[in-house]
Amino acid sequence: MTTLLPAAALPGDVSRAGGPGATGRSQGAAGHARRLLRRPLGLVSIAYLLLLAVAAIAPGLLAPGDPQAPDFAHVASAPAPGHILGTDALGRDMYTRIVYGTAPELAGILIAIAVAAAVAVPCGLAASLSKRVDGVVSSAGDLVLSIPSMVVLLMVLAFSQSLNGAMAALGLLTAPGLMRVTRSAALPVAEEPYVAAAKVFGLGRVSIAVRHVLPRVTGPIVVNLALIAAHALIMAVGLNFLGLGLHPPAPSWGSLLSDGAAALDQQAWVIIPPGGVVALTVIALVLLGDAVRDVAAESWAPRHHTPRINSRGRRRDDRRRDAPGEQAPGMADALLAVRDLRVAFPAVDGGLTTVVQDVSFDIRRGEAVGLVGESGCGKTMTGLAVLGMLPAGARIVSGAIWVNGRDVTRLPDRERAALRGKTIAFVSQEPMVALDPLFTVGFQVAEAVRAHARVSRAAARQRAADLLALVRITDQQRVAKSYPHEISGGMAQRVAIALALAGDPEVLIADEPTTALDVSVQGEIIELLSALQAEKGLAVMLISHDWGVVSGLCARSVVMYAGQVVECARVADVLSEPLHPYTAGLLGADPHLAVPGELLRTIPGTVPPPWTWPQSCHFQDRCRYVQPDCRGQAIPLVPAGIERVSRCLHVEVLAGAEAAS
Amino acid sequence: MTTPTAAEPLLAINDLRVTYRRRRASVDALKGISLSIQPGQVVGLVGESGSGKSTIGNATLGLVPVTSGSIRFDGRDITRVRPRERKALARSLQAVFQNPYGSLNPTKTIGSTLAEPMRVQREFGRAEIDQRIRDVLNEVGMPDDAAKRYPSEFSGGQRQRIAIARALVLSPKLIVCDEPVSALDLSIQAQILNLMCALKAERGLSMLFISHDLAVVRYISDSIVVLRHGEIVEQGPAARVYEDPRVQYTRTLLAAAPRPHGT
Repeated sequence: MTTLLPAAALPGDVSRAGGPGATGRSQGAAGHARRLLRRPLGLVSIAYLLLLAVAAIAPGLLAPGDPQAPDFAHVASAPAPGHILGTDALGRDMYTRIVYGTAPELAGILIAIAVAAAVAVPCGLAASLSKRVDGVVSSAGDLVLSIPSMVVLLMVLAFSQSLNGAMAALGLLTAPGLMRVTRSAALPVAEEPYVAAAKVFGLGRVSIAVRHVLPRVTGPIVVNLALIAAHALIMAVGLNFLGLGLHPPAPSWGSLLSDGAAALDQQAWVIIPPGGVVALTVIALVLLGDAVRDVAAESWAPRHHTPRINSRGRRRDDRRRDAPGEQAPGMADALLAVRDLRVAFPAVDGGLTTVVQDVSFDIRRGEAVGLVGESGCGKTMTGLAVLGMLPAGARIVSGAIWVNGRDVTRLPDRERAALRGKTIAFVSQEPMVALDPLFTVGFQVAEAVRAHARVSRAAARQRAADLLALVRITDQQRVAKSYPHEISGGMAQRVAIALALAGDPEVLIADEPTTALDVSVQGEIIELLSALQAEKGLAVMLISHDWGVVSGLCARSVVMYAGQVVECARVADVLSEPLHPYTAGLLGADPHLAVPGELLRTIPGTVPPPWTWPQSCHFQDRCRYVQPDCRGQAIPLVPAGIERVSRCLHVEVLAGAEAAS
Repeated sequence: MTTPTAAEPLLAINDLRVTYRRRRASVDALKGISLSIQPGQVVGLVGESGSGKSTIGNATLGLVPVTSGSIRFDGRDITRVRPRERKALARSLQAVFQNPYGSLNPTKTIGSTLAEPMRVQREFGRAEIDQRIRDVLNEVGMPDDAAKRYPSEFSGGQRQRIAIARALVLSPKLIVCDEPVSALDLSIQAQILNLMCALKAERGLSMLFISHDLAVVRYISDSIVVLRHGEIVEQGPAARVYEDPRVQYTRTLLAAAPRPHGT
């Protein structure tokens, strides 16, 4: 078999996801056990439960004495020499009796969880994979849930006189809950494409359930089993306490508790050892469940190389208050001017991981500028920084964002928030996210109007109708009365734009506003944004990966790669003659511009993650024109024509090569 | 089809109807679709959401029940395949789906995922399975040691390469590709499209290539089928449909799709 294509630049890719040494992950049951033992809580609970298992199987190993032998010198006593946990009302050694009393309780737990798991897990999995089974199983489950469990347990005990029988019944009665948990966890997994792929290659239903669905849902199942085990222990102890389980003088934790309760007036201590052991066991079961769940997920979940994000947002005292009031350099007529913006997340090692590096660009009133790049290039992060809505942990390390001659990065939080919607508005990729499903479209737009201006309800309604007309919705009456689910995606995006315009903003940030829409609607939305930009003199910052969308709306584009601006130019100039290898690569990869039958000109590899960005050219490892000096120093943005800059040392080489090809 | 064919087509879909039953109403997802794929040919299905393009792929793969009509593949009727026959069919009919993050089981290593289609067949020895895994990984441009890793260690584009490798491992004749590049970034999308073009050329693979993106479909397909509301509105050679659409809807689709242009 021939190798058709070169390996896709693995160094960058591997470090993105796993990092060096990620293969060293131990696998299989042995690996699980080792990782479980490495967790302190897992280790302690396993050790404790193992001890209980020994007590249940071979009590003689732990307690050499006779559980029934009385010591009349010590009756109902606190801990004393020879009786580390004291004695009960008949002078029998408490420690020995607790050890011998383990077996019935532990057996009860095991029977209950075994029955619950055996019934619930297969039923839950089957229900998730087949609608027909789901109907039957869910109704049966509801039926069982409606049975009063205590009555059933007492009946089983009355007829069978067996604690184990009662615990099996308890397992059966708790199964519907576990079945529901399994089913609801498994349903989304059953919809995954890899399950469809497995069906296509002929894997049977049982194998699909066991191999492809079960491993994804073990977490919730294990946690629930731990809770069921804890519940079963309490029930078993309770039944023994009431004397409905084991018969005296055979010891059980429940009977010890009940003996203790009877002797409480002689010696309060007698209730503490059996009560303590029950409490400890419940805690151990729950902790073990949590640890097993975490370990099971750990074996395949991604390793987090991404910087750990601080839960606290930007703090007041972090803000730089130095040198206020300086004028925005660059274009004199810029409405929005971003200058040397640097955004970073705290890194795991305590330092900072920069995700946006020295980004500068201007947008004039009535102008649309496209921020172009692939995911991981920092274009959305730049948009959020302008909006003042960076995710928790991320902060502006340096640089300025001038809006109307004011550096908004220096404003207090309250003034910053007041700018949002009123001066700077935002339209996202997913229009439905902007709309509340519980309220009509008209109500939501009117609310947005009232949030920005103190007007009467009637005036707000009128303004909302005007806004809907502004975004070219023809039957505003009907749309205003509709709920979000009643309108199409394209209509929802229009409404989202109307919401954004409610505060009469000057800058509109549109983050991939057409990506989630059908092609026939994409053009309409671009047209609408274009018209609004002209009519209202809006400055539009369009974030997009799609050159088609960018060229439809924007006169100028800012191309970003790995956190940096790599090229800034008029869109027409970029399309006819890109002056950065990344821009050229992006255009070469666009199937719109491709010739069928000829291979697309691809960029090998993927965008490197922020923590691997070099000081020098960020694109060097994927660049076909790379020279030794590209790896040397930081590359500045250099003028490369009228209103155009490029972050490439070898623009002339690129221009020559592109002209030749 | 307008083009006369000497040999029997690899896939022949005739008057296919699929009706989904909801609680009250029923929805006609496909209203009598006929199309065929010749050996070595790539047929592109384009349409907007709700046009039924994915339903055609899913019906071919046996993932949705067919209401009426027939699907013939490789000389046999596969309109309603029993689970047991699916195994034999899997040797010549495979699939690649859209979401690169859901297309691989995150709890299984890549090696285990790639071995599974062969294990189901019960004909391959341990050594042959390992050899084939190495071969397909190389073919899609992934290193051998990828087999020991988990999906979470790979990027979206690499996962899609692995999903393609899984479809290739049994050396099928036809692969149903449902939006295989839609979730990928532009430069990664181009890598995967190149890979698929190379596979088509080297292996003589046939594909049913489903996408909402006319440019992508045009680039990879020999012939294009345009769908709307469960019906075919236009079909023909890719270049002809793209350059000279005969139906208004196709023209609208082409005009609406924003294309890079200098002004």
